[in-house]
Amino acid sequence: MVDVGSGIVAIGAGIAIGLSGLAAGLAEKDIGTAAVGAIAENPKNFGKSMVLMVIPESIVIFGLVIAFLLMGNM
Amino acid sequence: MILPEKMSRILIVGSKDKLRETIDILYDLALVHPLDFSEEEGLAIGAPFPSASDASQKLLKLRALEKDLEIEETNFGPQIPIGEVESNLSSTIDYLNAEVTGIVETKNLTQQRLAALENDRRLLAPLASIPLDIELYSGYDSLAVFTGTVRSDPEPALRAAVKGFEIFKSKNNDFVAVFVAKKEAAEAQRALVQNGYAEVAVPKGKGNTEQSLKSIETEEVEVKKALADAEDKISKLRADHRAMILASDEHLSIEVEKAEFPLRIATTKNAFAIDAFVPTKQVEKVQKELEAKLGKSFHFEVIEVKSRKETVHEGSEIEHEADVGLETPVKMGEKKPISLFNGFTELISTPKYNEIDPTNVIAITFPLFFGLMVGDVGYGTIFIALGYLGLKKCTTDDWKTISTMLFFGGIWSTIFGLFLFGEAFGMPFAPHGEEITWSSLLGVELPSSIGIGNIEAPLGIYNKLNDVNQLLYLTAWIGIFHLFLGFFLGMYNIAIRHGLKHAIMEKFGWVLVLLGMAILLPVIVVNLGDITGIEFGDMAVLIPIVLIVVGMAISIMGEGILSILELPGLLSNILSYTRLAAIGVSKAGLALAFNMIALEMLAPMGGLGVVFGIVVFVVGQLTVLMLAIISAGIHGIRLHYVELFQKFYTGGGTKYNPLRVVRKYTSER
Repeated sequence: MVDVGSGIVAIGAGIAIGLSGLAAGLAEKDIGTAAVGAIAENPKNFGKSMVLMVIPESIVIFGLVIAFLLMGNM
Repeated sequence: MILPEKMSRILIVGSKDKLRETIDILYDLALVHPLDFSEEEGLAIGAPFPSASDASQKLLKLRALEKDLEIEETNFGPQIPIGEVESNLSSTIDYLNAEVTGIVETKNLTQQRLAALENDRRLLAPLASIPLDIELYSGYDSLAVFTGTVRSDPEPALRAAVKGFEIFKSKNNDFVAVFVAKKEAAEAQRALVQNGYAEVAVPKGKGNTEQSLKSIETEEVEVKKALADAEDKISKLRADHRAMILASDEHLSIEVEKAEFPLRIATTKNAFAIDAFVPTKQVEKVQKELEAKLGKSFHFEVIEVKSRKETVHEGSEIEHEADVGLETPVKMGEKKPISLFNGFTELISTPKYNEIDPTNVIAITFPLFFGLMVGDVGYGTIFIALGYLGLKKCTTDDWKTISTMLFFGGIWSTIFGLFLFGEAFGMPFAPHGEEITWSSLLGVELPSSIGIGNIEAPLGIYNKLNDVNQLLYLTAWIGIFHLFLGFFLGMYNIAIRHGLKHAIMEKFGWVLVLLGMAILLPVIVVNLGDITGIEFGDMAVLIPIVLIVVGMAISIMGEGILSILELPGLLSNILSYTRLAAIGVSKAGLALAFNMIALEMLAPMGGLGVVFGIVVFVVGQLTVLMLAIISAGIHGIRLHYVELFQKFYTGGGTKYNPLRVVRKYTSER
């Protein structure tokens, strides 16, 4: 039987990764739209678009790290 | 070479009657990158050779023929000797022009006729079930005729709306022809529209509808045959003359390019001057070749061996001679295997002349990161095989680049998979906990280490799913070392541009900050459970804080107060490298889920369960494989583009593009 405290920690970890994933998705949505437009206009923009596109991805990595740290403290 | 190859700026001056010969020599050398000349006082851009206009006209005709005959470029083809191309050029073009024009015209006419017939047939088809001749639908003075489709039977509505009318309906009542007196036309139309009437025009013509339809069908067969004939003739012409046409196109394109080359250089009434860049090592070769072919009748001069320094002219209008890095052409490395990674650098931009070619770094650390993220013997060997095939068979640069990633990334995946993670297809060799392993699956006890010579090499130090925290810690260290590399490369770049002092002011502060963070990292990790346990008087805490403060002070002096804002950025850069562990873990989790469904839930059921188990296993492994390529590839290269390149790379250089002739369909002999 898992105690209540561990359950709350697990929920916290879930929230950390879930919300940060949502945030990264929202941020990437707009960049992605613009990036696809730029690439359609000139395929040479692919590299630069990709760099801009993946910047918000770090948010979800932070969420993941926090989630693992929380789980480690259970 | 870690820096782009040294370039020299040369000047070739000669009299105009030698220009053509000079151009041919330069094209054959394939070493000279010309600088386009913009007009100045006393000098004008040259005029193209007279042969240009003739060749252009022929090329125009040839391109029209290519379009008519639907000839497309391919990567391979027979090579035709230039002599043969030259002697047959005019006759081929004239002959084909005469042949093709007629055939293409026939083809277009038959296509038009076919479209017209199809249109008529479409219009006539609904009339076929109404027993009226076509001419009866039109030509009345006092009658209005409505023909079209309806959704419901309009007869009751018509009866209520108009006094006299005649209606013909198709068998299934969806098409009607209504005749009414012209003065009642408006009412009739209203009644029709209420029943979903949509007008269909009646084509011009005479006689029975069904007969007309039949004659249209017969004509269609004939026209289609004529069209097929024309297409046959075209494909025969295409097959017969394809190689010659492509060869002539290539030959003429080269002719035009050479004949128009004077437009890129400076000329006077009787002389020309070519301003160009040549790799410093090759200058002598260019000069010797010119001397051998032209004798003494030209002037050759090395204006400068381009320095990589950017000088600041104080007080002058040009404050910063930044164009050193921009206009000097950059020759990307050609030494394999590093040059295979050129595509990754080009994706961002060509390096500048005075900075380190980042391909050298990508070639080493990118496959390493890719391997760490995949970390699996099974996938690794598949990647090696795919990459090897790709490198052998693929012809486009894009696919070559992807194959390079798979091949070298696959090698590291296999190595890490074997020794660091001890894992194949998402399953560990030997058990760590209660999970399924190759040992339990095969019923053989696999060793947890292997002896290579005197060294006992472990088969699996970390388990991806159990040792996540250790992996996160490890990857943070990888990040720190990678960023150190970035800062040192950045210092080197600035040192060759502006000198050591600038380099230290701009980058050394950050090196100290990073060093501070690195020393602080273990302290934080140890005290993660209770962050209040950190003793600030402790040396392990005091030293890094001093380092960070001093480093920030240097950075603020060098770059201004705003550099404080970059401090959290550096921290997030380090954390960003933990994705190396995160992606490995998520991939392992996914593979584990598929393996559990296939091997622990389906396979033991026996019979059909085994079949489903195999299907789930194969599909699941393929999914993980594809995701591994996409996520490991994109995240691996992203760590270079975003985290690493920010520390040292500027880019935006000009690619070295020497005058040369590339022949695909013709040969010199």
